[in-house]
Amino acid sequence: MTDIELMEKLKSFLGDKIVEMSNPGLRRVFMKVDPRNLAAVAVSLKKDLGLWYIAAISGVDVEDSFEILYHFGHDNGSLSVRTRIPKADPHIESISPIVPGAIFYERELQDMFGIIVDHIPDPRPLVVPDDWPAGNYPLRKDWKYERPPEIIPGGKQ
Amino acid sequence: MKFTIPIGPQHPALKEPISLRMTVEGEVIRDADIRLGYNHRGLEKLAEERTWIQNIYLMERICGICSHSHTTCYVQGVEKLMEIEPPKRGLYIRTLVAELERIHSHLLWLGVAGHEAGFDSFFMYTWRDREVVMDILEMISGNRVHYAMNTIGGVRRDLDDLQVKKILDGLEVLKKRTEYYFKIGANEPTFVARLAGVGYLSKERAMDLCAVGPTARASGVTRDVRKDDPYAAYDETPFDVCTADTCDVLGRTVVRIKELFESYKISEFLLKSLPAGGIAVKAPKRAKPNEVLSRYEAPRGENTHYIKSNGTDKPERLKVRAPTLANYPATVEMLRNGFIADIPLIFAAIDPCICCAERAVELVNARTGEEKALRFSELRKLADERFKNPSLKRNAVWPF
Repeated sequence: MTDIELMEKLKSFLGDKIVEMSNPGLRRVFMKVDPRNLAAVAVSLKKDLGLWYIAAISGVDVEDSFEILYHFGHDNGSLSVRTRIPKADPHIESISPIVPGAIFYERELQDMFGIIVDHIPDPRPLVVPDDWPAGNYPLRKDWKYERPPEIIPGGKQ
Repeated sequence: MKFTIPIGPQHPALKEPISLRMTVEGEVIRDADIRLGYNHRGLEKLAEERTWIQNIYLMERICGICSHSHTTCYVQGVEKLMEIEPPKRGLYIRTLVAELERIHSHLLWLGVAGHEAGFDSFFMYTWRDREVVMDILEMISGNRVHYAMNTIGGVRRDLDDLQVKKILDGLEVLKKRTEYYFKIGANEPTFVARLAGVGYLSKERAMDLCAVGPTARASGVTRDVRKDDPYAAYDETPFDVCTADTCDVLGRTVVRIKELFESYKISEFLLKSLPAGGIAVKAPKRAKPNEVLSRYEAPRGENTHYIKSNGTDKPERLKVRAPTLANYPATVEMLRNGFIADIPLIFAAIDPCICCAERAVELVNARTGEEKALRFSELRKLADERFKNPSLKRNAVWPF
């Protein structure tokens, strides 16, 4: 499936669900969709276009919103589906019921950005420890790590 | 009666920290849960505070076995962001080191598989022969593990004629040895019987769970980034994608041995058609605001980096997805309904690199813990059923 074929297929199956689409390089297609349409788009990608493989989910902190990119791979390149949600109400629909292999990437998204993935089959923390303080989301731009002062027992004060 | 057996995070059988929790009935695994995070180093956050050049060294240290994979994936993305094109010779040397790394990683895996299957002579043979490729890598780069070959715009060290000859001689030795391993597989029925039918993963499930690399290819999924999305010098290099259809650890072994032959072929081709010219171009300090998705076929499967720049000398966002993380959901599927004794074999078969994946895992689906008293006749019926459908394939043959 070449980039042009892929873009034509996307247009015919998704129609007005596509907000914008670009082809920045060979074998790379980026497409923006509304977060409310995400689950429907994921179903269509898997059923109609045969994109069963999700390579990664990237979250990006962009000022007052989060950009989430779903990178799908196919037999001749890749498709990245972009969506944007406001930081004030960070909810996104889970695609794991449709693409089971996405579960770990969605859980990582929850831990790292504090994005709430609705209807996720397994919402437990993935990478942060059990005693991680609530409300700390490391990959948000305003989060800074401060190393606690080291106290050596019996050492100098 | 069900028990939950914790394995790890610290366990004599595991070399890296990970926690596996097996729900077992007798010695049959009914459910598995993987917990991660014991080795999370916050590399993605750290990368945002480092310059493009500093990040090469950070990426190199994601993994100690596929160190070249992560740097190549990173630098080829940054090269696109900076709009520079490395010279042909640089790309060829980069690809050559990538294939030599695949050879050493697959030989290492074969040894581990032999060891876990209780065939320790195989382990000793493969690890002895792996020294040949380790010496080649040391000769090229000066290092056995962190080669530090990549830089933005090309590679850092050139090859001379004597080195090319020495590498070709080394590959000749390895080719003979690998042919011998292939023959061992055919002539050693106990080894084949130990691997066949263990860790079954059907093609449909491999696709659903987005498995990558030799794990997916052993289930008949023909996916290889080198073919699907060629980078570096792969679009000019002839090679085949190796698959198997047995969907078990035997298939994963066969795929890796076949991939070794392909890697020897690729390396020879690259060395014999090495173009003349420079090895690197000068890279700018800053990259314009843009984004790029970089994909790379590491020895364990697809490695994905998403890089976003903001016009400064540091990345805005660097997302790393290592292949082992993509294979964990499939591992849980493979462990289910296997035996406790098969855990090391199945888990080793994905060639797990826990440090790589520590950017992210966990899965529980424990069924209802109800207990039921069984009559002897019912128990016997269950035992008969179990023996009619053994998970171990008898009379399996090595696929020539």
